[in-house]
Amino acid sequence: MALRSTQTGFGPVTKGFHWVMAILIVLMFAIGWYMDLLPLGLEKLAWISRHKSIGILILFLAIMRIIWRISEQTPMPVSRNRWEIAVAKLAHLALYGVLIVMPLTGWLMSSAANFSVSVFGLFTLPDMVAPDPALFETLRTVHWALSWGIVGLVGLHVAAALKHHVINRDVTLRRMLPMVKGK
Amino acid sequence: MDTGLGKLVRAAVIVPALTLSFPAIADTWTATPDDGDIEFTGKQLGASFEGEFESFNADIVFSPDDLAGSKVVVVIDIASADSGNPERDTQMLTADWFDVEQWPTARFETKSFREIGPNQYETVADLTIRDVTREVVLPFRLEIDGNDADAEGTVVIKRSDFGVGQGEWSDTSQIGDEVTIRIDLEATRG
Repeated sequence: MALRSTQTGFGPVTKGFHWVMAILIVLMFAIGWYMDLLPLGLEKLAWISRHKSIGILILFLAIMRIIWRISEQTPMPVSRNRWEIAVAKLAHLALYGVLIVMPLTGWLMSSAANFSVSVFGLFTLPDMVAPDPALFETLRTVHWALSWGIVGLVGLHVAAALKHHVINRDVTLRRMLPMVKGK
Repeated sequence: MDTGLGKLVRAAVIVPALTLSFPAIADTWTATPDDGDIEFTGKQLGASFEGEFESFNADIVFSPDDLAGSKVVVVIDIASADSGNPERDTQMLTADWFDVEQWPTARFETKSFREIGPNQYETVADLTIRDVTREVVLPFRLEIDGNDADAEGTVVIKRSDFGVGQGEWSDTSQIGDEVTIRIDLEATRG
């Protein structure tokens, strides 16, 4: 079975990365909001713990995905519009960027709060900075702002995919779907 | 020559003499939070965190030659706990945790000392947190250099033994039961 992407279609590894991370990102946003609303208690701590663990999983997947992407060819854009291609490129770069930066700000936040990250209780990450309540507050704001940045980027990403599917009626969306064979 | 008899005679003369002039030969030492740390390490969501009590008062009477006459009482100001996280520090003081309004201090009072090796001692002490007093055994290393002393020891206690963490917090799955207390004091004689 061909694992790699071709000039026209995405391979199963890339599709796998895409959809697993898509689900995780939606989950992270939901957990992030939910845990913030909970009163301080065991339940809140347990959800914060899950949020951190999944965040680090996303960071790991993002790194693997970028390595994979660099190592294989990327299918040609379907659009012939140079402006559209440029914006898509930028938006994709920004998405890769936040997939790395967002977990890092979370990790930094945890360190600044003297609340180290345990990944699914399996191992604990080293602290990146010394405890610093002021830095923690700044990072919390950055983390929050980035979450809305991600909402904007993902919104754009989904809208663009739907626009290609519904208006342009091209393969842009279909070729990323899990069961559709890229041709 | 140090014969058994010689020793006995000397002891017979010196010990009563000392006892007469000084009820205990153990020295008084001064240790302040400026030159010492009382640190704690707990576990939260599977990851360790450290903190320290910034304020405490230590009354130390100690001499390696008079362990029976030695006594250390440390009173720790609970509200001075700093775990590098203001939210956690505030939470720690509430009724579910240390209940600082009712019990503002924790108390460590030694009952006995024994030498366990060169510069190594062990003390059995009463530790009072909230309204619970429990016996703890604290091994420590002690180095005395002239009028300066450095003592360092670690003891692991269970927060559940002292009722630290009431209600849902008595569940130790998210916030671990075991807490390591590390004491590092620098004291000066007098």
